[in-house]
Formats: sequence, C-alpha cells, structure tokens
Amino acid sequence: MIIDHPLLGPRDVSEFVYLGDASLINRPDSQNENAAKHFYEYLYLRENPAGEHRELWYHEHGDRSWLVVTRDTLTHKITRVELARDTALAAGRNK
Amino acid sequence: MSDFMLKVRSPLDGIELTYGDVAIREITDRDIVSIAIPLGGTETLSKAVISAYQTELPAVGRCAKSHVDNAHFLGMAPDQYFIVFDRSGSESTDKITSKLGKTGYFTDQSDSWVMMRIGGPKSRTALERICPIDLHPTVFPEESVTRTLMEHLSTIILSEGNDHYLLLSARSSAGSFLQVLQKSVENVL
Repeated sequence: MIIDHPLLGPRDVSEFVYLGDASLINRPDSQNENAAKHFYEYLYLRENPAGEHRELWYHEHGDRSWLVVTRDTLTHKITRVELARDTALAAGRNK
Repeated sequence: MSDFMLKVRSPLDGIELTYGDVAIREITDRDIVSIAIPLGGTETLSKAVISAYQTELPAVGRCAKSHVDNAHFLGMAPDQYFIVFDRSGSESTDKITSKLGKTGYFTDQSDSWVMMRIGGPKSRTALERICPIDLHPTVFPEESVTRTLMEHLSTIILSEGNDHYLLLSARSSAGSFLQVLQKSVENVL
C-alpha cells in the first residue's frame, strides 16, 4: 500500500504506523458536565465501517507527522491524505 | 582528577571504500544540529537565518545551502530542520546560538549519526535495492532530502546531484548500515 504524503509524495506503508479512527483528534472537554459520558464514547465507541474510513497514521520512519487518511476498508483504496494538524485547525483547534 | 585522555573516534573510523566506479566514504568533519521552531516563531527564525546565513529556510524535503560555514539546512519535517556544517573548535550548538540567538531550540546531533557519502554511476542502482523511495532525478532531484528506511534502518538521504548521495543513519547501527551498503553495491557491479 502506498500513502501519498501531502508534503513528501508517495511513500511505502512500511514507513507508517496505524493508530485508529480519526475521531481520536476530537478529545472531549474534561470540564463538560457530561465529560464521563463523552470520554466513554471517545474511548470505546467506533463506527467500524465496511467502506470509507477516516483514520490516523503516523509517519514514524519519515517526517514524524500525523496524517488523516481516508481509506476504503474493503478495497484499501486511499482517496485522500491530509496533515492531521490541518484537520485539527480546520475543526477549530487553536494550535 | 582522572589520568585518562579520551580521544574522539568517528563511528566507522573514517572508512573509505571503492568498488569499481562506486565510492563509499565516511564524512567525519561535519557537525549536525537540529532546530525545532518555538510555537509561532517561524518568521523570527526565518529572518535570523537570512541575516546570518544569507539563505532562506527550505521547504520540507528540500536543502538550502549557505557559504557561511558551508552550512546545509535540511527541511526534515514541519517545524524541524537539521543544519549540517563544517566542524570547528567550538561546541556545535554554541556556534549556531552565536548566529541565530534564541530563535529556535538547538540540539547537537553530531554524535548520534554516522554520515556517509556514496557516489559513482551505479550508486543510485545500488541504493534503489535498499531504499523504498524513488531516487530518479526527475522525482528526487538534487538538493532533495528525506528520512526513510533502508533495510529496516532509519536513514536520511540527501541528493547531491550527479549520482552522489549523502546518507545519515544511527551511529549505534553504523556497522550494520555499512554492511547493507557494501552488499548492495557488490550486487550491482
């Protein structure tokens, strides 16, 4: 499998480490009154789709960046690769 | 007070090997310092580099050269650079701090890496067998740099053009890395 890194171009999957669902970026607010419920959902509930899935990959043997990869879990076809930093900033993270 | 006098040794004792028209040589007269950019400090560092080194910080994956100390700035990752420059008497980080002040976080990396140059018409053919990235000049032109794996060993590769490459790998596995290079060159001759 080849991941087309946004900064470095096509790179072999052996350079990467898989983490899991991209929703892990959205860590709940611990000060929220329903924090326990939100953390339960954040930690344990996953969609597990048969099809398009957004997931986090770490370029450990490259530039050490976190990526959000959109991959079809049935075919392994990758349709989109973004820097996780850009995704987080677009979602309202301030740094 | 100790009576021992410690002598600095390079990882491979400055080894030089020639296989036909391919040469492998350890580089022992260069220092390496990494730069991490403080949050929001890119512009400040960039101005300091232009002022002190008369060159601009490169993009990730590219190298920028300066005539000052023969310094090469390597764009390793977002917010991280390596500077490779000629060794002199002073501590490497002191030298960078004297030029760039406190515009970045500087860490001496010189003794963490073995630095080797491989060159010659068949050097790319030899590297292609152990390197997962495409090294053809149309894809990886001169002054391209990246970190990747070679035979499971983390390696930084810089294209110096004309079939010459600078390779950095971990000092602790320098012997294994040399063996990988030797074998690959032997296999393509």
